Amino acid sequence: MSAEVTFHTAAPVAVEAVGRHLPDRTHTVAELPELAGLSEADRLTCLNLGIETVLADDGLTSYDLAERAARAALDRAGLPAASLGALIVIEPRAPETLISSDATRLQHALGADAATVFTVGGLGCVSVTPALLAARGLLAADPSLGHVLVAHGSKPAGGARYRHPVTVNGDGGQALLLTRPHPAAPIRVLDLVQRTDGRYWDLFRLEYRDRPTARWREECRDLPGYSFRLAMETRNRLGALVDELLSRNGLTRADIAGYASQNLSAGGLAFTEETLEIGLLPSCRENLRRFGHLGPNDVFLNLGTALAGRELAEGDLAVLLNVSPVAAWSALLVEIGPQHGREGTA
Amino acid sequence: MSHGTGETAGEITGETAEEITGEITRFLTDALRRPVGPDDDYFELGLVDSLFALELVTYVEQRFDLTVEVEDLDLDSFRTARRLTAFVRRKTGAETPDRTRAGDR
Repeated sequence: MSAEVTFHTAAPVAVEAVGRHLPDRTHTVAELPELAGLSEADRLTCLNLGIETVLADDGLTSYDLAERAARAALDRAGLPAASLGALIVIEPRAPETLISSDATRLQHALGADAATVFTVGGLGCVSVTPALLAARGLLAADPSLGHVLVAHGSKPAGGARYRHPVTVNGDGGQALLLTRPHPAAPIRVLDLVQRTDGRYWDLFRLEYRDRPTARWREECRDLPGYSFRLAMETRNRLGALVDELLSRNGLTRADIAGYASQNLSAGGLAFTEETLEIGLLPSCRENLRRFGHLGPNDVFLNLGTALAGRELAEGDLAVLLNVSPVAAWSALLVEIGPQHGREGTA
Repeated sequence: MSHGTGETAGEITGETAEEITGEITRFLTDALRRPVGPDDDYFELGLVDSLFALELVTYVEQRFDLTVEVEDLDLDSFRTARRLTAFVRRKTGAETPDRTRAGDR
């Protein structure tokens, strides 16, 4: 409990700018080639996820997506990469090569020579949370540190985009430029909580060592366990997590103007709404329908779309929810600042 | 939907285990829109998604006035109407653990 109190009293983090690279091209889910190899029941499950199209650029790797997003964030803020204090890369689902470093590759490409550089991950779409925790820790611990850039390129690990029975993965890059809070910041992350349960560490996995990439498949080792036990644990965990986040900030659910979650499926969004007895921001369903699942990038993408669509306004508080079958859960409390055209979906 | 009052499942309505099983079976048949027998494993039949799981657990909690905790989430307790009856009776004190059938925990 004392750790939580210390954590809570730490300074908020400002999101100075968000950069994205969302490919122009899309794939229609109904035309995905992997559907031909599925049973009729599994095919219907895929088609009923609430995803019509996914963003896709087969010519870009996850690294390419992250780099383009990182450059977009720096451009929006007018900040030279050389002044970055830290660069945190959220690991891709599958790196192009092993042993090598996507993080220092990005450092070199950007010219972020003075930055402290490392990678975080291991929690699926929740991995945005340890990136924010690390950034906040760095900013709090070192008064001389400049901006921190968090970047991620989301792309399916194998050739198949459908992960039965969960979601369809799209392509997209996102970068968050973080700094200490100031009045002009368009978004402030006020607080965040994260929990994990290691019993689910390999509930979903992709075997790769003994097979060519064409046979890589994201597989669930225990479908009833996923649909029942983890779902019900999520019900209990998510409610407690949101209550903890709000209560330690002296808030109730009545103070929250909007909730956003990651984009897995229409059923997943409904599950979150029924579990918490809330309504999610309309941007969640809209982005799910158009873009599919973009991993750790989803929640800030949905927040950006909500801001662009004026679903939220300056001064509003919002909660961003992430659930991963690893299993991990996180809830972020954010405050909307003045909008100067630096946030958005572009 | 009726709600319990803190009494045990049997005491709420004076129902026997078979009557509770019958009620749960009717709930499952309605929720899944297909006939479900007392010993049908609806997980094995692939009929359970997270939304149905939420509906099922919420029904059990509200109807029998109990709370399903994380440590209660043993799939074997929920996979058939008859097993669910045993779980309900165990949770509400109508059936002691040593009277449950092997495999219910």
